Amino acid sequence: MIEEIFQIEKHAYKDSYIHRLDARVKIVLAFAVIIAIVSVPYSIMVYTVGAIFFGFFLFLWALTQLSPRVYLQRLIEIVPLWGIVIFFQIFLKNKYYTDYHAVLTFPFGIAVYSESVEFALILLVKFIVSISFIILLSSTTKVQDMLEGGTRMGLPPDFALILGMMLRYLFVFGYIYRKVTDALVTRCFDAFDRKLPYRYRLRQMGYILGTLFIRAYEQGERVYISMLCRGYGRHSFLYVKKKSLGRGDLAFLSLSMAIVIAVPVVVWLAPVRLI
Amino acid sequence: MHIPDAFIPIPQGIVYWIIALVFVALALRWAKNEMSEEKIPIVAVLAAGIFALQSFNLPVSMGTSGHLVGGALAAIVLGSPFAAVFILALVLIVQGVLFGDGGITTMGANIINMGVIGGFVGFYSFKGLMGITRSMPVSAFLAAWLACLIPALAAAGEMFIAGTFPLEAGLVAMGIYHAIIGIVEGMVTVGVIYLIMNVRPDLVDMGVKRPAGA
Repeated sequence: MIEEIFQIEKHAYKDSYIHRLDARVKIVLAFAVIIAIVSVPYSIMVYTVGAIFFGFFLFLWALTQLSPRVYLQRLIEIVPLWGIVIFFQIFLKNKYYTDYHAVLTFPFGIAVYSESVEFALILLVKFIVSISFIILLSSTTKVQDMLEGGTRMGLPPDFALILGMMLRYLFVFGYIYRKVTDALVTRCFDAFDRKLPYRYRLRQMGYILGTLFIRAYEQGERVYISMLCRGYGRHSFLYVKKKSLGRGDLAFLSLSMAIVIAVPVVVWLAPVRLI
Repeated sequence: MHIPDAFIPIPQGIVYWIIALVFVALALRWAKNEMSEEKIPIVAVLAAGIFALQSFNLPVSMGTSGHLVGGALAAIVLGSPFAAVFILALVLIVQGVLFGDGGITTMGANIINMGVIGGFVGFYSFKGLMGITRSMPVSAFLAAWLACLIPALAAAGEMFIAGTFPLEAGLVAMGIYHAIIGIVEGMVTVGVIYLIMNVRPDLVDMGVKRPAGA
């Protein structure tokens, strides 16, 4: 996962209307959409709300001027594992339905129920919408901007300092990860090579990870000493300049929040349903 | 094990968030008191290292792979379950917000599972087993295995309470998968601790003293 950070940050450094928005606006929007879609009850109402939110996402993605391939690549990296869990829902019963009707039956009592298929689709819609807005947020916001945005929104200073340091060193460890994997390839070591004894492979991986752990700790010690040299102490904190939201940011945020709040309410109250 | 958004309803997600925040606050207090406030940067950088550590795929069986969670490892080496809470909370925030691995509304549940349960189970089972067996490899292996298995079972329980996965199927699927992954987690954790004890014994001395069986 760590090697993706370079690509994500590369996308975040591009320029577009969405990229230029204040990080706080994008954080609030992404979190609001996720909370809104997750708050919608497990009912077919999710289809309509999800479709509108996804349309809104596509519109915003078009404004980012990033290729759809970027979005799809990131989606494909995230979806598979939980996609399988969602797929298996079609064979299972849950507490949200009382009556189940089998549409397909298999040996050993396995059956596909229409209600379970519906529930799986509801989960899938919620999952895809949530992930899409996280991809939008991280693909258009630099890591440092996100941290500053979080701090301006009230992230405790202690935590902001620690999180900031961790984020900074993620890139360092991204490089170290690359170096280590390159070194393994150079030495023709493959942890998945079945010709090698399993115990040997695991022991080597243990040593590699142990070395990485020690490097991380020693890097931490070096950073700590460097920070002490620069006057770091008990009362140090991450300085983030105060900044008000611009008119454009406020207008975008107001309009977006109106959509995010209105869509589920309108779909709930009015018969605006896709199905 | 990272439960994504949609799998836990909002009211339950809020409860998990509150519990997780209490433990994160306790972990922050532990870091200030036990490590001395100035040394917090070390843990922050270590969290980035653990993140990199999790990126290595390890062979499990039949072509499948897994990766280290590292909760038990952090707790054992740094000598406190709060170390795992602290480090895993940082890692999960970054994974959820930046990579979409895990969720925002489910982050509380994920911190509880991997950080709190993983860290506490890993640390206290290691301490307890060390008292009985006096062997670092056996204790660390079992502690890491339990710290991988029990959070997975907790995740299955949470999804059952949420109504998004049946209890029996969830426990069997998550249990079997993580029991196998846990063996790799255990073996690699032993390898890592063994290496650290030989190369930098002072690190392990910070928390758990050098075990007699090592």
